Amino acid sequence: MAYEIVMPQLTDTMEVGKIVRWLKKEGDYVEVNEPIVEIESDKAIMEVPSLRAGYLTKILAEEGEEIPVGSVIAIISESKEEKLDEKSEEKQKPQEKEETQKELVLPQEEIKVEVKQLPPATASPVAKVLAKENGIDIKTLQEEGKLPIPAHEKDVKSYLINEKFQEDAINFLKDYQLNPEDVAKTFSEKEKITIEDVKNFVTINNIPLKKSITSIRKSLIKNLKTSLEIPVFHIFTELDFSNIPKESGFTITTWFIKILGDCIYQYEKLRTRTDEEFYYVYPTANISVAVDVSGELFAPVIKSIEKKSLTEISQELENIKQKAKEGRFSREDLEGATFSVSNLGMYNVTMFDAIIPPNCAGIVAVGKIVNNVAKLTFSFDHRILNGREGAEFINLLQSKFKDSDYIKSLMG
Amino acid sequence: MLYREALNLALDEMMEKDETVVVLGEDVGFYGGNYRVTEGLYAKYGERRVIDTPIAENSIVGTAIGMALGGLRPVAEIMTANFAMLAMDQIVNSMSKLRYMSGGKLLLPMVVRMPQGVVKQLASQHSQSLESMFACVPGIRVFTASDCITAYHGLKTAIMLDDPVIFLEHTLLYFEKFEFSKDSFYNPFKARVLKEGKDLTIFSYLKMVHDVMKVVTQIENTLNISVEVIDVGPLNPLDLETLTNSVKKTKRFVIVEENPKHGGFGATILSAVLEETFYNLDAPPLRIAGEDTPIPYNRKLELLAIPTPEKIYSKIVKWGKENGL
Repeated sequence: MAYEIVMPQLTDTMEVGKIVRWLKKEGDYVEVNEPIVEIESDKAIMEVPSLRAGYLTKILAEEGEEIPVGSVIAIISESKEEKLDEKSEEKQKPQEKEETQKELVLPQEEIKVEVKQLPPATASPVAKVLAKENGIDIKTLQEEGKLPIPAHEKDVKSYLINEKFQEDAINFLKDYQLNPEDVAKTFSEKEKITIEDVKNFVTINNIPLKKSITSIRKSLIKNLKTSLEIPVFHIFTELDFSNIPKESGFTITTWFIKILGDCIYQYEKLRTRTDEEFYYVYPTANISVAVDVSGELFAPVIKSIEKKSLTEISQELENIKQKAKEGRFSREDLEGATFSVSNLGMYNVTMFDAIIPPNCAGIVAVGKIVNNVAKLTFSFDHRILNGREGAEFINLLQSKFKDSDYIKSLMG
Repeated sequence: MLYREALNLALDEMMEKDETVVVLGEDVGFYGGNYRVTEGLYAKYGERRVIDTPIAENSIVGTAIGMALGGLRPVAEIMTANFAMLAMDQIVNSMSKLRYMSGGKLLLPMVVRMPQGVVKQLASQHSQSLESMFACVPGIRVFTASDCITAYHGLKTAIMLDDPVIFLEHTLLYFEKFEFSKDSFYNPFKARVLKEGKDLTIFSYLKMVHDVMKVVTQIENTLNISVEVIDVGPLNPLDLETLTNSVKKTKRFVIVEENPKHGGFGATILSAVLEETFYNLDAPPLRIAGEDTPIPYNRKLELLAIPTPEKIYSKIVKWGKENGL
């Protein structure tokens, strides 16, 4: 059996002890109550006796070392050769006492404040002095709700400053997060500062209007940055829509998504995403469509296009428009696409380039249709497919648009 | 350097420079002092100048008074302020009166050193903060030492003074390490601005200074203000000039003290500062003090009975929010 000798707590206040001198060396036999080590506490140097008889097989703290109370400083064993058990080895490192090591933990939750019910005219002494100096009556202003109860110096100060401004000028300052006191200095000679004065101030000093970024926008920015890391290549091409019947009752977008979806279903690489460890090949053709919802970009997903008819896709596009108006997409609506479509054709854009959303193999940017032909820009994730494969896929798409039998079959 | 080592150095230097300086108290000699403040002095200066006394506090102070009247500069150690209660007759009725009643003809160059405060589960009779009891007696100086600089320079000045000084230490500080320099300027009659600020002044002394400093940044961040921290230093006489100048600047003040609130020394600071600064104030002053209870033995209750960094933070933030910060 091996026993640990720990740094004893020799006084009430002792937290660490210094090993002054070992009175025994490793291998020595020790009797019960025989002094083995001299320890310096916060109060004095004391000899510490062994509580057990045995061989001092291991000394774990050197002379001069400061060891926290409770940490192992030596091992005593019944036989001279006995090895230390692992438990003791682990404990070699001095262990700080719980309380001394404890970090300062301050209350995280909001500290509750008691609202004092005080009558008007209640104000701090310095606020009253300031009010008197400036000839304003705290009680009246408090009754009118223009000063809080109790009023402090900063309340009176800000009241006095705000008084120099017309009301709309103050609101304008708030929009620009300007400190009224700083602005007032510029117009010290004026009785009242108007909104025109403040607008001039903003123009002359070229002060930007600081607007907060919505959380949706922030996540878009984050996604765009992620997208930037995708090694991408572009293929520019044209697509002939002349075989698509004009009177089908379906929009060009509906046709495009259906045919594109069917091609993707046939072409495994565009149902793939990668984390650079593995490729993940998805079983169905899921395409996201970029839509603008009052300035925010969303990409809701139309799923399993290969199984859906033009009518169903058309209906789904309608749903998307509706949800976009209400601005309520669920998480599910926005997940699972491996390819994306962005269409600016209606804005009289000939040709443009789009950025691949994270987790997509590619995106196509569709320009306006001129004489039944639209200019398309494909961006592909080079980690998933090569140029030749991209071209192959585009050829497949173009051939589908020329295949009258196939197009007829879609009409049902 | 450890706080107790700074005190030891001050004693050693004064004893070496001036052979009339003597140390007396329980176990200060052969044993080196209960908290090792007088360690090594017995070996260096011998039993005639480092005197082990019987356990009789009133006699220790009485003897020191006699020594001082006879031309020595005694430094008496009372093991803790709790035991100084036995010496109150000599302190209050003799030590504080002789200079005055002799019309200043009698010099009383003596120091009575003692630690006080909550340590860790030493129970009610060994954990008290009794500064008010000494500070309310005219005729004695009451100094406090919160770190090595104040301990070293403060004790040296106390020994050099011809007035009797009660020199208060805090037991928990003996084993703390603080920055130290012999050259640093320190006047034990002045309060020290430890940190400058604009919106709030916190007054404290002894160990509470450190508890305040631990949370001052968090207080500043939470309330978005800048805080001035002042170590009050001497309790009698108070350095009112430094205290009131700070409050005139910041317009708000908080006092943090370990002794019970009722009759605690913070009340004296508060009234003295308030009389001078009432029309400058923008908030009612706040005292964060010990509870009005004997210090409990149970560790959790013990910590509930005195200010801790967490409590200092919460109370100041709450008070600040309620009072326009």
